Amino acid sequence: METFIGFNLLDRQIVDREGALVGKVDDVELRLPPGQPPRVTALLVGQESLGERLGGALGAALAGSARRLRSEEDSAPIRIPFEVIAEIGSAITLSISKDLLAEPALEGWLREKFIGRIPGAQHDGE
Amino acid sequence: VKKLLGLTLGIISAIGGFVDIGDLVANSQAGSRFGIRHAWVMVVGVLAICVYAEMCGRVVAISGRPVFDLVRERLGPRVALVNLTASYLVTLVTLGAEIGGVALSIELLSGTTYLLWLPAVALVLWLLLWRVKFGVLENLFGVAGLALIIFLVAVFRLHANWSELAGQARHISPPSGENWPNYWFLAVSIFASAMTPYEVFFFSSGGVEERWTAKDLGQSRANVFIGFPLGGVLALAIMVTSALIFYPAQISVDTLGQTALPTALAFGRIGLGLAILGFFAATFGAALETGLSAGYTVAQYFGWTWGKYVKPRQAARFHTVLLVSVLLGFAALLTTIDPVQLTEYMLMLSAVALPLTYLPILVVANDRRYLGDRTNGRLANALGTVVMVVVLAAAIAAIPLMVMTGMGGY
Repeated sequence: METFIGFNLLDRQIVDREGALVGKVDDVELRLPPGQPPRVTALLVGQESLGERLGGALGAALAGSARRLRSEEDSAPIRIPFEVIAEIGSAITLSISKDLLAEPALEGWLREKFIGRIPGAQHDGE
Repeated sequence: VKKLLGLTLGIISAIGGFVDIGDLVANSQAGSRFGIRHAWVMVVGVLAICVYAEMCGRVVAISGRPVFDLVRERLGPRVALVNLTASYLVTLVTLGAEIGGVALSIELLSGTTYLLWLPAVALVLWLLLWRVKFGVLENLFGVAGLALIIFLVAVFRLHANWSELAGQARHISPPSGENWPNYWFLAVSIFASAMTPYEVFFFSSGGVEERWTAKDLGQSRANVFIGFPLGGVLALAIMVTSALIFYPAQISVDTLGQTALPTALAFGRIGLGLAILGFFAATFGAALETGLSAGYTVAQYFGWTWGKYVKPRQAARFHTVLLVSVLLGFAALLTTIDPVQLTEYMLMLSAVALPLTYLPILVVANDRRYLGDRTNGRLANALGTVVMVVVLAAAIAAIPLMVMTGMGGY
């Protein structure tokens, strides 16, 4: 089956093998082998990639704020190798659990500094 | 039996959940100034929301994607970001108006000014968003919202003159002493109150969380096609009672207390008590839905973990948006803007934003790559197109009407 980057990949929701939300396909990583059609090698996730793709002042601001949040050792943006994609449908389903991927910096930061400190944050919503 | 109970409960919640502060304000104002010359707008509004909620339910059941996922996929990140900004702002203003409505309901009951109740209402609202079992809660507010049936009963108790009402309903024109711009201003308000965007954000996200499949389409359609029209009947009953009491006396409604007054005239304290209970349940239920919807739009645009069933710790970004939204809605009310006035603005802003929400739904509902062989049939497309023309007309007319009438000539 043919896969169109613009239609089937970009801006789709990514879910892990259990159906948990991972993020959007904010951008893709391409490899351009000489003399062959380009190949998608990975999906890129995070506001940094999104901001860079958006461009303009707003995109730069979005990417910049995301960049400041992550610590030096993180290799943001989150990179999902094409090999772990199990299915491309109305969502992109991965063959792995999201625990194996890096956590988005903003999520971790808000949990540690803010949400996690409010009593009852562990509680099941049900 | 359990399935039947679930079906009934779903429909009941849809009825009680249909009415919110926008319906309360727009319908009673229209009734007091124009009789029921806007009844047809309510009928069109209910039809419109039914057509689009059905499409939305089908998209969720087949593709598993909520509305704002589709907005970003179909419009691209840039246009969708503009859409997100507009949708979030409208939802935020709606949240403020609903919180104000809850506080006003308590004022009607207690006699102390609503401003004193705002902090408590905002706090309880956030606590419920933070940790309560949602299925139970939604149904509770939906069922309590049925207290609004008192307006329907009041129509009969107030000895409605049916031939006169029928005469008003047939006249699609302003009565003497009113002008066309004011007539259309309220028409747009009523239409927007039936179609407020948060309804589909909430409806579709709920469907995703409950993991609807093609098998659940029956339930979804029953909720929409039975629940919404019956909810519309309640909204219409509010317009009729207002037309019976205030229109002949030439009093225009501008407080929530006046909206409730016809029930007191019909049934005394019990009537008034039920009306206030109905207001409280309808606005509180809607405050929960708008608060969540504010979080849904942002989280679904960025792809963050969202939902009322996940632990706050696992959805820190989503829960931050919820908390900030409740605080912003609360802060808007602390400016002491009259919540009824805020509602009038909210309805006109909603009208402007309607195409942003509904156009992507119509597009995706026709896309085989999402829906396979469950795309729109001819009827859904014919109705969907007609409704879209009305939606666009309302969106274009809203701001000129606001300016021409000075917010409806109040």
